[in-house]
Order: sequence, then C-alpha cells, then structure tokens
Amino acid sequence: MIPNMLSLLVFLPLLGALIVLTIPNEHKNVIRSVAGVTSFVTLILSIIVWANFNRGVSGMQFAENYTWIDLGFVSFNYDLGVDGLSMPLLVLTTIVTFLAVVASATIKERVKEYFVWMLVLLTGMLGVFVALDMFLFFLFFELTLIPMFFIIGIWGGKEREYAAFKFLLYTGLGSALMLIAFFAMFYQGAVAGEATLNFLRLADIYANPANAEVITNTFRAGLFLTLFIAFAVKLPIFPFHTWLPDAHVQAPTAASMILAGVLLKMGAYGLLRVGFGILPDQAANFAWLIAVLGVVNIIYGALLALVQKDLKKLVAYSSISHMGIVLLGAASFTTAGMQGAIFQLVSHGFIAALLFFMVGAIYERTHTRMIEDLGGLSKTIPILAGFLLAAAMASVGLPGMSGFVSEFLAFTGIFWASPEVIPAAKTIAVIAALGIILTAAYLLWAMQRTTFGQLHQSHAHLQDARPIEYVPMVCLLGLIILIGVYPAILGDVINTTVIDIVSKIGG
Amino acid sequence: MTAFNADWSLMTPEIVLAILALTVFTVDFTTGIRGKKPFIGTLSVISLLITIVLVVIFNQNTGSIGDMFVVDPFAMLFKIVILIGVALVILTSMSYMDKHQDMYQGEMYSLLLFAALGAMLMVSSADLITLFVGLELLSISSYCLAGFRKNQAKSTEAALKYVVLGGTASAFILYGMSFMYGLTGSTSLVDIGTAMPMLYAEYQFLVIMSLFFMIAGFGFKISVVPFHMWAPDVYEGAPTPITGFLTAVSKIAGFAILIRILAVGFGAIYHEWYFIIAVIAALTMIIGNTVALVQSNIKRLMAYSGIAQAGYLLIPLAASLSFNITMSMIVYYAFAYVFMTLGAFAIISYVTEDANNEDISSFAGLYKRSPFLAHSMTVFLVSMAGLPITAGFVGKVYIFLGLMTSQMIWLAVIMIVTSTISFFYYFTIIKQMYMREPSEEGSMLKAPTSISLIVTISLIGTFGLALFANMLTNYMNGLNWIIL
Repeated sequence: MIPNMLSLLVFLPLLGALIVLTIPNEHKNVIRSVAGVTSFVTLILSIIVWANFNRGVSGMQFAENYTWIDLGFVSFNYDLGVDGLSMPLLVLTTIVTFLAVVASATIKERVKEYFVWMLVLLTGMLGVFVALDMFLFFLFFELTLIPMFFIIGIWGGKEREYAAFKFLLYTGLGSALMLIAFFAMFYQGAVAGEATLNFLRLADIYANPANAEVITNTFRAGLFLTLFIAFAVKLPIFPFHTWLPDAHVQAPTAASMILAGVLLKMGAYGLLRVGFGILPDQAANFAWLIAVLGVVNIIYGALLALVQKDLKKLVAYSSISHMGIVLLGAASFTTAGMQGAIFQLVSHGFIAALLFFMVGAIYERTHTRMIEDLGGLSKTIPILAGFLLAAAMASVGLPGMSGFVSEFLAFTGIFWASPEVIPAAKTIAVIAALGIILTAAYLLWAMQRTTFGQLHQSHAHLQDARPIEYVPMVCLLGLIILIGVYPAILGDVINTTVIDIVSKIGG
Repeated sequence: MTAFNADWSLMTPEIVLAILALTVFTVDFTTGIRGKKPFIGTLSVISLLITIVLVVIFNQNTGSIGDMFVVDPFAMLFKIVILIGVALVILTSMSYMDKHQDMYQGEMYSLLLFAALGAMLMVSSADLITLFVGLELLSISSYCLAGFRKNQAKSTEAALKYVVLGGTASAFILYGMSFMYGLTGSTSLVDIGTAMPMLYAEYQFLVIMSLFFMIAGFGFKISVVPFHMWAPDVYEGAPTPITGFLTAVSKIAGFAILIRILAVGFGAIYHEWYFIIAVIAALTMIIGNTVALVQSNIKRLMAYSGIAQAGYLLIPLAASLSFNITMSMIVYYAFAYVFMTLGAFAIISYVTEDANNEDISSFAGLYKRSPFLAHSMTVFLVSMAGLPITAGFVGKVYIFLGLMTSQMIWLAVIMIVTSTISFFYYFTIIKQMYMREPSEEGSMLKAPTSISLIVTISLIGTFGLALFANMLTNYMNGLNWIIL
C-alpha cells in the first residue's frame, strides 16, 4: 500500500490543475485530456482505497497525522482518515467528478480556466471527506466555494451572476456559522481539559461524563442547533434552500452534476460527522425536529417540483425533496435508518448526476428546458429519452435500483424508530411516504410530457446520443442498478460505522 | 544611563536610513527638478533593502538608549513590515510615475523614505517625545504625499483635509499625553506604566480623559470608526500608490504605537479600556464592510475595506489573551495585510491608470487583457475576504480563535458575519475581471517589471505565510516582545 494514500488522493487533482495551467490556451484537447486523466487516476486511487478498506473495523483507516501550524495555545493539524461514513462519499466524489469532466466536453470557451477550477473543486471536496481536524475541514469546505462561484458565474446560464453571488453568500454564511460552532466547541473542549481541534478527540471529550459540568446541556443544545443550521444551508434544508434552485438552473451541466451529486452531500456528511459524531445525545434530542424538517423537505420539495415548468428546476426541487429522506433516516437512530441515509446520499449522488446530465444533453439539442416544448422526444432521440426515463424511474425508487434500497431502509428506520427518540414516528413515516407518491406523480407526469406525446416540429431532426455521452450515462445507470440489485457492495463498507453511530445513544 | 554613554549602535538602521534618505534627496535636487527619474526610485528601494538587512542584523540585540529609544522584537518585526511595505509602495510608484510626468518624481521617493524613518522611530519609541517626533515625521510626509498631484483638485483637497484633520488628531494625542506628563512628571512610557495603578486609584478622571484623547487621536491615524470619516476622501484623492501607503504602511505603524502605549503605559488598567477597543473594533468592522458594499470607485472601496481590516487588527487588543499571543496575532495579520493590500494596490494603480478611470468597471475583462494580473488580484481579494490557502484566512482564523478563547462570542459573531458580507464587494471586483468583457478593444496589458515584481513578491507572501505559517508563529511564540 502506498504511504500517505489519502494525501495523494486529495492533492493529485491540484497537481493536475497546475499542469493544466502550464498548457497554452489553444491546446484545448490536451487540456481536456490532462483533466480527464487526472480525474480518472484520482478515481482509480479512490477505488484502491475502497478495495483496501478494512470492512468490519470501526475507526479511522489510512490515517495521517502531522502538526501543521502551532499557535502556542492550539495547533492546527493535518489529520486525515476514512471510515465507513466517508469511504462511500469519497468514491462517489471521484466517480461523479470524473464523469462530470467527461460531460464537460461541451465546454468550448475558456477551457483551461474551466478545468483548473474543476480540478481545484475536486481537491476541495475530497479534502472535506477525509479531514479530521476542524480547521482543515473548514479550509476544504471553503475551498469548494471559490471554484463553484466561478463555474456558475462564468459558464452558467442567463442569470449566472445572480446565481453565483447567491450561492456564495448563502453557503458563505453557512460556513460562517459553522466556524462559530466549531470554535465554540473547541473552546468548551479546552476548558474541559484538552485544546484540540481533532474531531475524534473532541468526540471523546464531549462523551466523557466527567465534563458534564463544563459542557452543559444548554451549551450542547445550542451548539448542535448552530451546527445543524450551518450544514442545513449546504444540504439544503427548508427554509435555507432558496439558493439551490437558482444555482442548479444556472450552472452548466457538469457543475449541476457535481453540485447535486457531491456538494450537497458535504452538508449531510458534516451533520453526521460533527453533529451526530460529537453530540449524539443532542442529535437524539432533536431527532424529532430533524425528522419533521425531513418530512417538510420531502413534501415541500415534491410539491414545488410538481408545479415547475422548467425541467431542470424540477430536478433541482426533487433534489431538495430527496435530501429530506436523508434527514429522516438519520433522525430515526436505527441501524436501518442510518444505513438508508448513507445509501440515499450515494444513490442520490448518482441519480441526480444522471438526471442533470440528461437534462443538459437534451437542452443542448433542443435549446429549451421548458417541459411543454419538449414533447415526444422518444421519437427523435430514443436513446437519450430512454436514459432520462430510466433516471426518473431510479429517482422514483423503482425496485432494483439504488433509490429503492435507500428509501426502503430510511422509511423502515423511521417507522421502527424508538418512541423515545421520535414521539410520533409512525405518523411521520406515513406522511413522509406520501412524498413517494408525489415524487412518482411529478416525475411520471414530467416524463409523459417530455418523452411521449406530441412531437414538436422544430425537434424533428435531433442527433441522438454521441459516443462520449454514453460514458456518463452507462456508468451512472450501471452503478444505480448495481447498488439496487447488490446493496451489500455498499452495505459492508458502512455497516460497522453505522452501528457505531447508532450505538452511541444506545439505540 | 544617560543618553551620552548609551549604545548608539542600536540606532544604526535609523541613522543609515536617514543618511540614505538625505543622499537620495540630494541626488534628486542636483539632477534637475523635472523629468523621469527611475534611478531615484531604484536608489530608494536599495536604501530600504539595506535598512532591512541592518534591522535584521542590529536589532537582534535588544537594548535601549536612555529608555527613550528601545530595540526589541516588537520594534524589529514592525520595522520589517514597514520597510517591506514602503519598498513595495516605491516600486508601485515607479510605474505610476511613468504616466505622470508633471509630478516631481524624485521628491516623492525621498518623502517616502522619510516617512519610513518616522515610522521606524515610532515603533521603537518608549517615550512620549520620541514617539511624537516619529509620528509627526510620518504624518507630515504623508500630508505632502497625499497632495502630490498638485494640479488635480481632488488631490489638493485630500491633502488639505488630511493636514487639517491629521493636525487635529495630533493635537488630541498631545493633549492626552500632557495629562500623563502632568501626573507623573515623566514622559517615559515605562514610568507611566509603573505609576498607572496608583494614578488610576487617585486620578481616575484624568487618566480616563488622557486615555480617551489618545485613543481618539490614534484612532484617527489608523482610521477606525468613528474617526474614519477622512479616510475615503483622502484615499480617493491621493495618488494611487500613496493610497496603498496610507492604507497599509502608515496604518500598521499607527497600530504598533497604539499597542505599545496601551500595553506599556495603560496595561495595568486593561479592564478599563479593553471594552472600548472591542466596541470600536465592532463598529469598524460593521461600518467598513457595509459601506464598502455600495462603492463604485475602487479606491474608495479599498478605503472602506481597509477600515474594515483595521477592525480585525484591533480585535486581538480587545481580547484578553496573553500578551505574546496578542502580539503574534497582530504581527501575523500585519504581515498578511501588507502583502495582500500592497499587491492589490499595485494592480489597482496600474489598471486604473491604464483605463484613466477609477471605477470598478476599469477591471472589466482583465482576465483577457492580463491573465497574470487578474489571477493575482483574485488571490489578494480572496485573501482579504479571508478564504482558504491564503494568509488572510489563517490570520483571520487565528484572531477568531483568540476571540473564542477569551469568550467574546459577540465580537466573534460580528467578525464572521461582516467577513461574509465582505465576500460580496470583493467578489464584485472578481466578477468584473472574469465575467465582463473588456470595454474597449481589449488590448493586452503588459505589466511593467516593477509591477510584476511587487505582485510576485506579494503572491509569495500571501501564499507563503499561509503554508509556512508554522515558521513565523513558532518564532513569534518564543519571543520576549517588549523589553521595557
């Protein structure tokens, strides 16, 4: 095994970005290839980590610990590691990003800059999932902000500048809250005995009953809620979600894939790693709130999706709806629910990426995203329409696809949640289940109006899928089906960690 | 110890700089008053480099001359920051001067050298008199520099405003100092500091008055709210490189001396003033950052951004931390601040001169016209906004951490929220550079060597301080900052 595997994985894309910087602007294909190769090698590295990941072992693997900046009263450390929670997300990131890079073949302007930002973004995202030091985590979290701002603001749609600034300010404020929460946590930890920024050390300090006097319950509750709001912006949870439709709709296809596929997961990951990991008791205390917000997200997102005229907006709102399932599963504090939450993160990552890719491919041909203008696509571009339909089915949660597994697990979890954790768990489960019907309604209705029905005259002669487009389409759909029919491939990696998280409150 | 048998070698850097400044001045007026004089600029930069080397060599030994002029790590580090800053300003001026043949070129450089000398004296003084001499040497040079474009109404207005208000501020400072002298019969900060607990017990009102006047006076010099009103006008009117000088160098010098007075003179009654400083810091961050949002003139925008940054720099003083930590925070941020601000000002100066327009829109499409300048500007702006892998980020987190440790959560929240607000105006400039097309033909901009040099140095500083922060903080943690 290569030493410092995680560092290599995280910084390889950055190295690729530096190489791209040295290539003259005119050699667009060279730039594309370097970016493609870099993200592909990163993908391979992450699969090597995945293959060598010791299943059944709880705790961090591939750990790296170095002191970075020593300030006298505290040091910022370079601490990396992966466990069952971060491992799937790491692979999700590399897969989605590689496919997004492939899907970026349509980018014709300012190619060099574009791929530099993509690769920087990849480093930031990977860093978030492996960092175990609060400062380092925050650094990577913020690092994703800048590339996304540029990608939306330069290569986006008509309202790109507005969307880019909205994205920057909303998620920036979220990060600001996160920083405040982090350091409040650090400070109380220091008062309790140890000045550390390491997540695992902090979890120990906060779990130690001897510190209960210093770290009061009120403080813990305030801390948890602050963290929750901070990550809610990224996730996004109602009512902090308003940046997402704008960002998604304006972003170029590849960026939408990454945004929905990976960036939203950073919010969920933060919530689970920091919120649930360090303050499990508070997570349990507020489980009812999280569950209720989860249901609100599911229903509200679905209702809004139902009335959208723009196909891409519809997919964006469906993302909000699907993130509600993550909340629901996590809040249940059952093994099944927590598994469902993580499954949903991965599954939605692939499904949303595929949906956004399909919408992008169709828009590229028809120059419209309005559902009413898109009738009868299956007649001119049957392959694209077919994949779109498949993606929609996966999103609805058709058995045999990944969405089904995650929804099933999450709903089972919430249904069997302990009444002490969530008082009206069964009622919540039933209401949430209505969301599935709504999801089926808006997706099927949208599919009926786009792929079937009357063909628009101007769309009579469209070119069907190009060879390069098969790469993201087939890979994503393949992964969705793979997880759907063989969930153990994911399950055996996450189980130990899931049991760990759930056992912290004695569930 | 009297002044006569003191170790005058401690003052070597200052003496050498004074001689060099006079030499530059002499060379300048013997070579005719008008015309291009790049060699004077080069000479000045060399003088500053020599002085930096001398500071590093001679200020290794701590000591003092008659308890008036003190050499300690505090003075040394601030001197290095100041000298680097002035050198960068002169380099910026050299390309600026190419466009403005009507200005007396050599004078500007020698005035900057005298200003640097004044700032050096200031940070080394442990006595009210030396301090005031240094302060006025810096201030008077600054007044002249602000009005250097004498044919321009705005510049003249700036100088006039600056000299009147600056004079008032100096008067406030002197008035505050006179109370201290009256009470203790000494101008030595050390004596004042020793007597402080007793003074405060007996003459509470006078001590508070003195403190109030000094904070007001110095508050003006470092342009913190509510003493900041002059700054946007003066910054806008002054020649752009001088604006950089005022926002960066002169402010840092003002900070240094405020710290020394508060720590040495008024350290004993810390609990009386820390809250005032905290409130000033809060107001400064709020007003600086929000008013910057609506600026369309880039120099005014940077003026408000500089005001906001002064707020961040004040925070460590307000937080009750060990003096060592307070100092390393301030010095770290001061280094970061000088690099990112002067790097940005070099680019602003060059771009606005080229466009003949100080509106933010002069940056439109810069990425096309000069990718190097656009990317570098982005780095400086991102650093000022406090985003990752830059010195500004590490510095801000450092300060923020200190605030949390001293339990000033309210101030921490203000700092973070206002920093986020600042994203908006910093990114507005970035938007112009990358998301707008250049207004004219979009001709390529070829940055002159001096500009490229500053930008490169500042880039190295901005990234280097972040990546190798450990070296600086380790070094600073082991320092015995103030010896008197």
